[in-house]
Amino acid sequence: MNFSAYRALARCVVLESLRRKDLWVVAILGFVILLASSTLGFFGFSGLEIFAKDMAVTVLGMFSTIIAVLTSSRLVPDEIKNRTLYPLLARPISRLDLLVGKLIGAVIVTWISFLLLAALTAVALMIFHVKFELIMVQYLVAKMLGLVVVCSFAMMLSTYMTPSAAATMSFIFAFGSPMIGRGLVMASAENPAIKPVCAAINSLLPQTGLFDLGGRAVYIGWSMVPVWVMGFLLAYGIAYSGAALALSWAKFRRQAV
Amino acid sequence: MKVASVVVGGTVLAAALVGSNTGSIKESVNPAIKPVGLEAQDSHAAASLLGQFRTSASSWLFLHADLYLHNGVEMRPLTDAEIRNGRKGVGSNPNEAKIHDDSKIVTVIPSEKIDFRGIFGDVERATTSYKDMTGHSHNTPRDSLPLFRLMTFLDPQFVPGWTTGANIMLWEKDREGFRKALTYLNEGLQHNPKSIDILSQIAFCHLKEFGGKRDFAQALPFLKQASAIAHENWTRLSDDEIAATKTNYQRLVVTLRELGKPEEERLAVMEGLDHFPDDVPLGRMLRELNGEVIPEAELSPPLIIKPKTDSSEPEETQKPKIRFI
Repeated sequence: MNFSAYRALARCVVLESLRRKDLWVVAILGFVILLASSTLGFFGFSGLEIFAKDMAVTVLGMFSTIIAVLTSSRLVPDEIKNRTLYPLLARPISRLDLLVGKLIGAVIVTWISFLLLAALTAVALMIFHVKFELIMVQYLVAKMLGLVVVCSFAMMLSTYMTPSAAATMSFIFAFGSPMIGRGLVMASAENPAIKPVCAAINSLLPQTGLFDLGGRAVYIGWSMVPVWVMGFLLAYGIAYSGAALALSWAKFRRQAV
Repeated sequence: MKVASVVVGGTVLAAALVGSNTGSIKESVNPAIKPVGLEAQDSHAAASLLGQFRTSASSWLFLHADLYLHNGVEMRPLTDAEIRNGRKGVGSNPNEAKIHDDSKIVTVIPSEKIDFRGIFGDVERATTSYKDMTGHSHNTPRDSLPLFRLMTFLDPQFVPGWTTGANIMLWEKDREGFRKALTYLNEGLQHNPKSIDILSQIAFCHLKEFGGKRDFAQALPFLKQASAIAHENWTRLSDDEIAATKTNYQRLVVTLRELGKPEEERLAVMEGLDHFPDDVPLGRMLRELNGEVIPEAELSPPLIIKPKTDSSEPEETQKPKIRFI
């Protein structure tokens, strides 16, 4: 555990993100959200509160996932392509340290973007007197945990394929894994013989849908999620991210640079 | 440099000319006769799974209206294979007024009974807006009305937005709802003057019973217009429009009967049977017009129901009461 190296590497990722003006994009997206919400006001906001909250969590989930994937999938390939990897590896850090530090940086950038967007969305909703329930806090926490899984998955894919391919595959799995999971359940219900195969495929998928409490946060009268579920999400997030990191390391440690 | 300027100028001019004539292709790209249903509710397995990804904003909002009714619980129609395997839908609360057919829908997130995913399934059911919907109740459809306003604003040619929205306005069965529904449908008719479904829905509003009275005379022109459009465009109609046309003919015949126009009634029956030769209610109406006495067993729902027995009048002297669906 080389914490000073992790801190320095993560800081570099955040600074690089600022230099690339990624966070400006987030700010512009936030402005678009505010603009869109004012358009909703044009229709007379009464009765559209649930719809506005629904739009807010959809937009938040979508944009934060896009940022997570785009940030994470280019971290390692860019270092190799720009030859900035050599000075990094010349320092007393292992390749695993490098991956961990980069991942922490990607997660921090994604969390900052997510929280920035969430704050702007909250302002937009508060203008229209939309009420927030306590489950919204659980939604934010769970979503942040889910973004860690997305970041580690995208980084892992980027060590095995080109950044574009890694980003595309990450988007497919991040947005599509809930649907793939349900498709597997439907398929196994029709043909019980393939249940073990479906179970195996499902266990490998990044279960990003589990971290999305949007449905409960948007609609009225849904209870908070039990503590054991939040605990499970935390454990699953750590385990899946750890496995993705291990796979990244397995490839990267022997990679000729 | 001059050549480049001429090329750029020419291109812009050509684009402007093409743009100024786009109105003439409106009929081709956005025909007046359009499907009245939403294909996202298709029961094919792939369509059932991918239905939520249909991209039209209005269709997306239409699907969201369904989420409002179920307080966020996502539902999907059973696939053909599931129906063949004997799987039943969740059904709805029998004490509630029927909003839509729940006999063939299930939750998108699988129930514990059929889910092989173990704890992953349990966690998904705990983190999403999921609950066991067997015999479920619905939120009041009125909550979703703003969505219908929004979807018809975004896409005025989205006919289900107009017709379903109007149906919801009629939900409370009062005069105010009737007035609002009619105003809303007339707005829809301005955007879709050849929509069989909207015309038929306007007629339906007039045929709704308020204070023990139905306005057959007001409904007639809309029923006639819908039938005429259907007749003219018969080969271009979608399955949903054909179904709407069939109901429209039945309503037209009953309306003409109530208004005492037997000749027109006969013409309407003949025209209806020309398009729907196997339609039982239309066939029965023709037999009635020909003076045939229809056995009581054939007076089946949904068009005609038996009246409640009035103690002051012998049962055999009572006429069957017409019920519009």
